[in-house]
Amino acid sequence: MKDHLIAHLVAATHEVFETMAGTTLRSCPPIEPSAFAPMANVVATVGFAGGISGLVTLYSGFAAARAITGAMLGMEAAEVNGEMPDAMGEMANMIAGLFRSKLVAEGLPCDISIPTVTVGSDFSTRYGSEVTRVLCPFEMGNEEIFVGLALTGN
Amino acid sequence: MHLLVVDDSSTMRRIIINTLKKLGHNEIIEASNGREAIDRLAKDRVDLVITDWNMPEMSGIEFVRSVRTSRSREQLPILMVTTNAAHDDIVAAVEAGVNNYVVKPFTPETMREKIQAVTAGVEGGA
Repeated sequence: MKDHLIAHLVAATHEVFETMAGTTLRSCPPIEPSAFAPMANVVATVGFAGGISGLVTLYSGFAAARAITGAMLGMEAAEVNGEMPDAMGEMANMIAGLFRSKLVAEGLPCDISIPTVTVGSDFSTRYGSEVTRVLCPFEMGNEEIFVGLALTGN
Repeated sequence: MHLLVVDDSSTMRRIIINTLKKLGHNEIIEASNGREAIDRLAKDRVDLVITDWNMPEMSGIEFVRSVRTSRSREQLPILMVTTNAAHDDIVAAVEAGVNNYVVKPFTPETMREKIQAVTAGVEGGA
């Protein structure tokens, strides 16, 4: 995975969390896994396709997702209920949108999809063997979240 | 000033409405897609539209083009809030009839400045 793509993804994630959730994340070193998948209850994914194609995915546990949603909407995390999937989809959408803007500025035109969000406690996500992946871990207080980038055909 | 917020995401509508209320705007109605927004425009007083781009059924661009076909709404200020921030996106939005553009993520200050820009000279503008 090219370093500048990871840098774009990390920068986009920081900007979205700081602006929309008032939350400063702490970046941890990226992981380039072959089979590793983060433990997550909420997985929000946005695809992008064009001069470069792939997926941007936001992974979090229930507690982190409720905290993020509460921060976005100006409510207590404990009050968050049905708002959470849509809010996490919007966070992924904004991260992917900022990431896409940086790609377009580099001459890699692409469009993004609408977000899809999976919520549960017993599921896993698998990718084809031709996909190149990186996972960027972030600490948000006592919680850990991941933002993943999967590229196809590059 | 009466505002119409159009977004398929209930989260984004709530964030935008929270932001608008912080900025002192309280006359706000909402729609979850372009078709619903057209219905609201026909029934309610609206001085400023704030719309998303990517929406099912009718995109923000299609909605804006539809609004601009009405002579009475040729001058209605329209602000687009979206992640589509590339030069070509902005050109497409302006060609469709959008007056100004807010790129997500955005701060309340950015929203205030954009609203002021599109409502300058509009009676009752913020």
